[in-house]
Amino acid sequence: MQLSFRYISFHFICSYLHALFRTGADPGFRVNQFFSVSKLERSHALSSAQYYIGKAQWASLLQEWMDKHRVMAPVQQSGGLFFQPAGPDMLSDIVYDMARAVQPLKSFLMPPLDEVTGSSPVEEKPFLFLNVKACDIKALSILDSALNGEFREPNYCRRREKSIIIGSDCTQPWDTCFCTMVGGKPYPEQGFDLNLTKIWDGFVIEVGSDRGWSLLEGHDQILKVLVKEEATALDKLRKESIKKVEQQNKSYEIKTSLKSLVSRNWESNAWKKHAETCVECGACNHACPTCHCYFLDDVTREAFVKLRGWDACMYSGYAVTAGGGTPRPRLVERFRNRYFCKFKYLDDNYGTYGCTGCGRCIEGCQGKIDMRETLYDLTNSKG
Amino acid sequence: MSENSNPFVSQKAVIEDIIPETPGIKSFVIRPEEAFAFHCGQFAELMVPLIGEAPFAPSSPCYEPEQLIFTVQNVGYMTSVLHEMKKGDMVGIRGPYGNGFPLSDLYGKEVLLLIGGVGFPPARALLYSLLKEKERFPRIVMCYGARSPQDIVYKYQIDDFRKEIDLHITVDSADKNWNGPVGVVTTLLDQVSLNIPKTRAVVIGPPIMMKFGTLKLLEIGFKPKDIILSMERKMYCGIGQCRHCMVDHLFICKDGPVFTYDQLKNLPDIWE
Repeated sequence: MQLSFRYISFHFICSYLHALFRTGADPGFRVNQFFSVSKLERSHALSSAQYYIGKAQWASLLQEWMDKHRVMAPVQQSGGLFFQPAGPDMLSDIVYDMARAVQPLKSFLMPPLDEVTGSSPVEEKPFLFLNVKACDIKALSILDSALNGEFREPNYCRRREKSIIIGSDCTQPWDTCFCTMVGGKPYPEQGFDLNLTKIWDGFVIEVGSDRGWSLLEGHDQILKVLVKEEATALDKLRKESIKKVEQQNKSYEIKTSLKSLVSRNWESNAWKKHAETCVECGACNHACPTCHCYFLDDVTREAFVKLRGWDACMYSGYAVTAGGGTPRPRLVERFRNRYFCKFKYLDDNYGTYGCTGCGRCIEGCQGKIDMRETLYDLTNSKG
Repeated sequence: MSENSNPFVSQKAVIEDIIPETPGIKSFVIRPEEAFAFHCGQFAELMVPLIGEAPFAPSSPCYEPEQLIFTVQNVGYMTSVLHEMKKGDMVGIRGPYGNGFPLSDLYGKEVLLLIGGVGFPPARALLYSLLKEKERFPRIVMCYGARSPQDIVYKYQIDDFRKEIDLHITVDSADKNWNGPVGVVTTLLDQVSLNIPKTRAVVIGPPIMMKFGTLKLLEIGFKPKDIILSMERKMYCGIGQCRHCMVDHLFICKDGPVFTYDQLKNLPDIWE
């Protein structure tokens, strides 16, 4: 009952959300180890972590992996850049530069509705996510901490453990992007297996994990040691990318840490001011790459099958108990709670902000609410 | 549950008996397929097939894991369907979750149970545990408040409990057969003499009662660290993932549900 209502409201309220549901994610296979990025095994024939690879050579490498993986790659479509299942016929459509895609990776790893009791496991190829931007890679650390902690959300863990993460530099931020405001950079520094930076007619390819090394094993001949010009170009491109993000967020410059800024502003008129146009559609929650609140629904009489679905703390019914009580009856309280969750609670829980600056909440907001403006207004309010 | 590490899989449990307690409260005696070992104060996710789950702390002793009792108030959708169920019907159960009461911290202390309404069920489980090691607790006092005489749960056990502990009961509104105290549960604290420095208070009940109960305990001299609260929030997962039960950065389901007031006192909106 609850479920069907939520589903209807998703589609009615915000067609933007529909885009996030283009997931193609299904139950898959079982393994036990997440890839580790801490220790890079250098016993391989390859020893450095950065190489240059030509466009054609990369394409052949990628094609090789397509057999055994479900390659999800950003493709330009009407309405934006979307992760799409990519086959050999789509190689020329894949977008390597630009900025993040519309869907966050949670759309695939913990899709909007998922059977979690393991009653009908389906064998599936592992995902290979191509051209994941730094903001989305960083978001995975929150999901990993939350869903693969003391208790394991079995579907997420199963998919995540087998997934290959190939990042690529963000070179042309959307105007909603603000990774540099939350301690990020438009290129990843960890959390990826391989990362690509488009330089001239090829890529600088960086190895970030053991799994990355094994992907490249046996391909020494197509990887060239980085020459000085390529390294310089990489450095220059990255500096420019940072500058672009910083430049477009110049008017929101905040000097203090966002955690202390938010924490000391429990009482601030900024919450009310910015919550005014909120229509409680939950788009900010659903579009967010780190939001992972879920509800459970029991859908069988005998088999005890349980579904897990995305919930949203902006919904008025989110925390309502059976007796009708709720800790956040007013919209402005739910609005404030979202910021506290992003910049205080998740940091307290997992040691990192729940915001990576991807800007999807701004892009998806029907009320034109901009998180950067809210945060900036907090700097001027008395708290 | 050892063979299955999937935290969402419930085991089956048969309703063996149903004890009507009050017009709105029933006790369900259930037998899970496997023994359900728990510490008192921990909770289980009880599932009504096709309807959903809700968290309940068993009201039965934790040293009897084969057969559990859940005393449930008919207050929402899931509980209303549960109240319609019959002997022999099947429910689901998973857990136990949460930390439970810090029993060893209570050793050597006088224990005050300040209980409101349907807070009695988890308090009864605690009481069974306290009485099992009665020699460790110099004194056990229980102050229990119910809305009316007919809303008192476990009426058939009251006399037995009175023999074991110092039990005081008040009702918000009396009927003609009631000759005990009338008033909210905190008024009992004015009538009971307590050795406060040597006492630990355990508060369980509806939010408003827990708030005023705690404030009253502070007023009469309890230290925040000596006030133990069993908190409740909306929950789905019970395992610290779905975030519905958060109070500030704390998961009621995983970090709690049992906290000292000291842990919560600086957090906003804890009583909502």
